[in-house]
Amino acid sequence: MKKPLAPRVTRAILLTLFSALFVLYVAGPVAWLVSSSLQSEAEITRVPPNWLPQNPSIANFEAIFSAADRVVTYENRRQGEALTSSFLPSGAANLLPAMRNSLVIGLWVAALNLLLSVTAAYAIAVIDFRGRRATLYTVLATRVVPDIALVVPLFLVIRNLGLINSLGALVVTYLAITVPFTIFILISYFEGIPRDLYRAARIDGCGHGRALWHVYLPLSLPALVASLTFAFLTSWNEFVFALVLTQNVAAQTLPIIISGFIMDFTTSFSFVNAAGVIAIIPPVLMAVVFQRYIVSGLTAGAVKG
Amino acid sequence: MTRFGYDERSAALLVFPVLAVLLVVAAFPIIYSFWVSLHDIVLTRPLRRPFVGFDNYLRIFDDARFWTAVARTTVYTLVCVAVTTFLAVLVALLLNEVFPGQRLLSALLLVPWATPSVVNGLMWKWIYDPTYGLLNGLLVQVGLLERYRVWLGDPDITLLLIANAAIWKQMPLAALLMIVTMKAIPEDLYRAARVDGANIWQRFVHVTLPALRPGLMLVLVYETMISIRHFDLFLIMTQGGPGDASFTLSWLIYVETFRSLRFGTGAAMSYVLAITTFALSWAVIRFLGKRI
Amino acid sequence: MARITCAALTKSYGAVLAVDALELSIGHGEFMVLLGPSGCGKTTTLNMIAGLEEISAGRLLFDETEVTWTPPHKREVAMVFQSYALYPNKTVRENIAFPLRLRGQSASEIERAVGAAAEQLEITHLLGRRPNELSGGQRQRVALGRAIVRKPSVFLMDEPLSNLDATLRLSMRGLIKRLHQELKATFVYVTHDQAEAMTLADRIAVMKGGLIQQLDTPEGIYERPANIFVAGFLGSPPINLVEGVIAGGAFTRGDFRLALTNPPQEGRAVVLGLRPEDVSAGGDVTARVELVSPLGSETHLDVLAEGGVALTLRVPKEWRAAPGDRLSFGIDPARLHIFDKASETRL
Repeated sequence: MKKPLAPRVTRAILLTLFSALFVLYVAGPVAWLVSSSLQSEAEITRVPPNWLPQNPSIANFEAIFSAADRVVTYENRRQGEALTSSFLPSGAANLLPAMRNSLVIGLWVAALNLLLSVTAAYAIAVIDFRGRRATLYTVLATRVVPDIALVVPLFLVIRNLGLINSLGALVVTYLAITVPFTIFILISYFEGIPRDLYRAARIDGCGHGRALWHVYLPLSLPALVASLTFAFLTSWNEFVFALVLTQNVAAQTLPIIISGFIMDFTTSFSFVNAAGVIAIIPPVLMAVVFQRYIVSGLTAGAVKG
Repeated sequence: MTRFGYDERSAALLVFPVLAVLLVVAAFPIIYSFWVSLHDIVLTRPLRRPFVGFDNYLRIFDDARFWTAVARTTVYTLVCVAVTTFLAVLVALLLNEVFPGQRLLSALLLVPWATPSVVNGLMWKWIYDPTYGLLNGLLVQVGLLERYRVWLGDPDITLLLIANAAIWKQMPLAALLMIVTMKAIPEDLYRAARVDGANIWQRFVHVTLPALRPGLMLVLVYETMISIRHFDLFLIMTQGGPGDASFTLSWLIYVETFRSLRFGTGAAMSYVLAITTFALSWAVIRFLGKRI
Repeated sequence: MARITCAALTKSYGAVLAVDALELSIGHGEFMVLLGPSGCGKTTTLNMIAGLEEISAGRLLFDETEVTWTPPHKREVAMVFQSYALYPNKTVRENIAFPLRLRGQSASEIERAVGAAAEQLEITHLLGRRPNELSGGQRQRVALGRAIVRKPSVFLMDEPLSNLDATLRLSMRGLIKRLHQELKATFVYVTHDQAEAMTLADRIAVMKGGLIQQLDTPEGIYERPANIFVAGFLGSPPINLVEGVIAGGAFTRGDFRLALTNPPQEGRAVVLGLRPEDVSAGGDVTARVELVSPLGSETHLDVLAEGGVALTLRVPKEWRAAPGDRLSFGIDPARLHIFDKASETRL
């Protein structure tokens, strides 16, 4: 029996309507950011605004990637670019090194995070040891404290250790803020692996190291990818700790440099937008590529409650 | 009997690195911060750090800025949590359907999640821009607005505009959690409800909503904990202004610590915020755990 | 060579005693079945022997070597699980080879051993497949292959046949029995299925509440159950249990009397156990037939005797009876089981 026509049409209309609203809400702001980044300063300061760039230009991106070769002085900054009348901020040259910092930190955090959280999650999920609950609660409890509350004492500690401006200090900090969540993800996933597989592995001759390597890791790919992505994205995006723990430009990460542009009123709008686009591309690409894993990894254990 | 066998030794080895990192970077600062909060530490006078007991805490409660910040944080958190949850359920209902393009929309959902909060702040600040922003342009073009407005300069709506930016970024994760919860509802329940003659609204109220309870719980607790501690957007978009319109607790802590350099009171405020967050999530779990 | 000795083996979870000071000695090459209902401690015992659960108190010895604290991967035991527990990401060949690989054997040795095991279990044609492409019976054969390929001297089996359907279970039972004879290894086999226990075991340990109720050969357990629990757990249909007292050297319940060859003291409250098949045609017991269940090879009769005593009888198919008939049959006093009512133990 076929469904009557009317409900099907209603459903199609509703779905189309809500899909359109969804796309508008989720993608609209980003689309405008991208659109703005492709406009010249003259174009972007027009009233009413241009929805789409009239003369798409990648001048801003060129500026970012060539900024290092150009010495920005008071004179050539003032004189600007006659054609586009855009102002390059004096810090434009810092953008690429900051991106490199962000990338280096992100990769270190992702790799070390995986190493630390896989081993800890295995122990907590699989081994029945004294202190198991205490360990789990300790790990989760460190995440209850708001970042802004941690920032002050951490700043004092790191300053006393003389590690302000050190990338290593940031890596360790980001490890601490990402590890509780990735451990949680991995525990949920490991607990879903049949207990008998663990027992079989032990009987077959695996110690804990081999049981983790030969049985648990090959079966946990989604959770591993989700953890890696989460750790990388968190450190790529992180702002407060980087703001407080780095004070010279050479050590600063992308969000800090960009926030500097935002606060600097002389900076060209289109240039800031271009910098934003640059910062958004790696995480968004990563998220979309690993979508399937992220969804199943992030939400593992959510339904169990 | 205290015998440490193979399991105990392996577990200790596997768990040690994480605990070491957390001890140095989280546990020690948390405890150290308590010590700081009991002292009158002002960075401009580094050699004087007298012990003052709970004076810093008492001083906070006498501080008018603190109560303003509490009021702002409360409004901001309530708006964020309520709207995020509502939107998340709507989006989950949409993406739980099977239709052409559904996979594309699901991929799109991750874009705000992956966007750095600094870029998020930049993006919305640019949209709200009083002269060149999209919001003014759009509303005037459509005819809903006569003249350009200084959106973020209006103390009545600043907080809501910042909340909007925050919601945009945190809605996707909430929606994902709701989708997984929905997928776990047995199809039989809907069939039974249909047979009983329930229409689509009744099916939503009597089948979907009760089954969403675990996911809803998680979203509410998580969003509360996240929203109450938001900081990035306030620094980038308004710096607490205009006036004290967006002067939240996180911002107060930042100002007290890094602008006034009064570390003692800053740490005490951090403790108040941390304990409040903890108590709130606990209360939400206890209260809603029974109700929904 | 492996003798397994459990000395006061104990497992407790907080205040709950799962296994209570178990004493058990399993001889080399013996097929020992741990039989009991769920929660009786049989699987916990097996896990302690395997090393998968920590021993709370007591000692465990393989031959003369104490292994109480030896982790499972150092114990050199093989185990087969109810859920098969095949590694889903490995092929059948890799699954069977896994224990040998872990022991660092050479590729050619592994190849030869896997081939031999596969041949023995008739799964050579499955070696390239993955577990999710196999049926339940095939998976269990692979699990057996993974166990035998190591040629261990101790085999542990945790309800290996419970997930299989009835016919497959029969043929796998035969296969396991054959393996035991060929391998000459010590088998410890956990099950709740009395038929499996009876057909496979050299000796059965019937367990309940963390304690061994009776340890004996299958015949011994069936013929001389040590208590009411053991009597009731074995046999299908189950043994008839009737409460009564000893009066005048006979079991008495109302008008129902059965003379006993070796009666306990007068006036004692007892429980009488009568196996359904221990009746003969023609005798001095009369009863009314209530229900007739013909099974083809035999017939089960539910009858009601004097004193409201309800019995189930297992009789040859030649006995013709219809509901409402009066039936006379004989009971051999030597085949009766008398238990003390208070202690539930055999008298």
